[in-house]
Amino acid sequence: MLVSGHTAATFAAKWLGSAHEVVVVTPNAKWNWIPSNIWVGVGQMKKEEVTFDLAPVYAKAGITYKQAKAVSLNPEGSASSNKPFVTVEFTEAGKAGTTENIEYDYIINATGPKLNFGATPGLGVGSELGEHTVSVCTADHAVHASHELEKCIEKMKKGERQKFLIGTGHGMCTCQGAAFEYIFNIEHELNRAGVRDMADIKWISNESFLGDFGVGGLHMKTMGYSVSSKIFAESLFTERGVDWIIGAHVNKVESGKAHYELLDGSMGEEEFNFSMLIPPFAGVGLKAFDKAGEDITATVFAPNGFMKVDANYAAGAYENWKASDWPSTYQNPTYSNMFACGIAFAPPHPISKPMSSPNGTPINPTPPRTGMPSGIIGKAVAHSICDRILKGENAPLHEASMANMGAACVASAGKGLFNGTAAAMTIYPVIPDFEKYPGTGRDTDYTFGEIGLAGHWIKHILHHLFIWKAKLKAGWTLIPE
Amino acid sequence: MIQQIIKYPTPPSVQYSTDVRVFNENIFSLIDDLKDTINANDLDGLAAFQIGSYYNIVLIKNQDGTFLELLNPRLISTNGKITTKETTAYFPNLSADVQRHDKISIVYQDRDGAQHSLQAEGALSVLIQRKIDYTFGSSFLHKLSKEEKKIFEKKLEFGSDVAISEVCPTTFKRDYLTKLSNILTIIIAAAFVVGLFMSDELRLSLWHAQLYLSYGVLVTNVVYFFYAQYEGRGYTSCTSCQIGNILGTTVISLTKLTLIMILSYFLVNPF
Repeated sequence: MLVSGHTAATFAAKWLGSAHEVVVVTPNAKWNWIPSNIWVGVGQMKKEEVTFDLAPVYAKAGITYKQAKAVSLNPEGSASSNKPFVTVEFTEAGKAGTTENIEYDYIINATGPKLNFGATPGLGVGSELGEHTVSVCTADHAVHASHELEKCIEKMKKGERQKFLIGTGHGMCTCQGAAFEYIFNIEHELNRAGVRDMADIKWISNESFLGDFGVGGLHMKTMGYSVSSKIFAESLFTERGVDWIIGAHVNKVESGKAHYELLDGSMGEEEFNFSMLIPPFAGVGLKAFDKAGEDITATVFAPNGFMKVDANYAAGAYENWKASDWPSTYQNPTYSNMFACGIAFAPPHPISKPMSSPNGTPINPTPPRTGMPSGIIGKAVAHSICDRILKGENAPLHEASMANMGAACVASAGKGLFNGTAAAMTIYPVIPDFEKYPGTGRDTDYTFGEIGLAGHWIKHILHHLFIWKAKLKAGWTLIPE
Repeated sequence: MIQQIIKYPTPPSVQYSTDVRVFNENIFSLIDDLKDTINANDLDGLAAFQIGSYYNIVLIKNQDGTFLELLNPRLISTNGKITTKETTAYFPNLSADVQRHDKISIVYQDRDGAQHSLQAEGALSVLIQRKIDYTFGSSFLHKLSKEEKKIFEKKLEFGSDVAISEVCPTTFKRDYLTKLSNILTIIIAAAFVVGLFMSDELRLSLWHAQLYLSYGVLVTNVVYFFYAQYEGRGYTSCTSCQIGNILGTTVISLTKLTLIMILSYFLVNPF
């Protein structure tokens, strides 16, 4: 059995015991608690605080760890063997570039995304970050971002006004939440450094309204009232003196300048001294081949490179979308021993309303599949596979549809023991169910939010809690996803 | 069909709007109802939210009597600021100075689901912004500055837009007169206590002093009564409570004086 995905792998290893082999293939030597990269990006945490070495953790769990990247899948095996295998290319020092075919009984594709900086000219090349902007998508990116931020703060201290542009770097981005956290953490840090008055801070995103967050917005119960996330977000942006551009597809980035197209078809440009623009996500580019060696990538993967699962990919127009379009078992429809979870599975369609400019440019957030839902999905998939191994081929699969799943999100808006803030939100269900909940498609009794210092404490506690869990320390299975 | 417009203090029957997903007869019928309701109430626009529908629909009445149908409108870009006196059907007969964007660009869908964009400025821009606010469960109350919101809440309390242009202050110049009256009364009371232990000769002197001081208290209260009313005219937002306050203060002050002077007449006055 071969899997990827830390949550799925660790649970599978625990449930299966030593009688079966769990193999993890990942190109990284370290595990990264990505949500805290925001704090690394403003210099409030060190890289070492958000990462740890994978090898000792997997050794403790009895997991075979290969520091490599998957290149291709052969779900039918080869001409000489019926055993399916995956071809990996090692990235660890000393073996870099060498390849190996690893046979498997079950496989979980949890590769995460390719950070597709290359989709926007000037934002980067391929999955490599360019020179004009910064990123907080990886711990190394975040360290680089914090150094650039420090330079800007020094300039402001010398009386040089600086312009900050934070948001999404393409019309089809997801992860608005990360940019949301980063912009307010920057604002908080500039206040702390005493240079807030020297900074102009602007948000740019592909949302059609502020507070869409890639989930079509939400209406949350707060202090007994139902408040739209638009009102919530606009209030926060106004209160913190942050201006915004929405409905924007950033189509080109130059040194100190971003060009964009708006949903109304107009074009604009925004100058900056410091910019963090989230790239769009794509599949990592895995290829698939049949027994005869014919390319079957289009059968296994959607055009965006994410793996097809038990979703309804023929839902059609927005008005036809249903909660039941979303996958529940994450099993590949062609090969029943292949699963995908987290960002790696191909969603049937966006959650936000699909929109495009009069020029035909699609500008709408793509669906988020990170955080709490990805953890729950990974655990459910691991459970399904373990059941099939231990109970037999006909064991029912576990279900974890995002349309039946609630999620909690704690978005930092500034780090500090006594002056930190974070917005804590819950949303149920993640995917709106317009049949069950006419109107917004969500149950407002279970969709609520608050912002304040307590939220920050929760965020900070969660940081330690999840790293504890990921390191498989005592009681790790009791900590929820 | 003409629908009833929800008005303050009745809370909106829905708390938020949701995008129109299916463009069908139900939606067309709702649009017709909005048109009828706008015409019947002589309004310049209406959001479906205001008649209790959760659909994200805004109708604007053009000057030529035709209607601009905005389904799922989104405010995409803005430029400049403008402050105008706004009214809305939800708060009938009330107005407030609201700052909004002068120029806006919106995207919306028509009744066939086709997407369009629209640029607006001035009064139309303000009207569209106000209606879009409703579609997200807001009203212009949420757009007011802190000061303007205080005034508007007063207007809501009195149900009138007339002459409520300031907040009732908590201190007045007339309070100095009240203070003077109280000090004089305390001196008279102190003289009464001291007089109980003095000789007849000294008590006579004290009684005379009390008499003169009581005239002072009387005059102070008369001046207070008229000046307070004059001063109150400058604060029209709190007229009703001021009159009661002035009368009460005067009566209390004179009652205290009368009681002390009656006691002094029998116990301090040696004759």
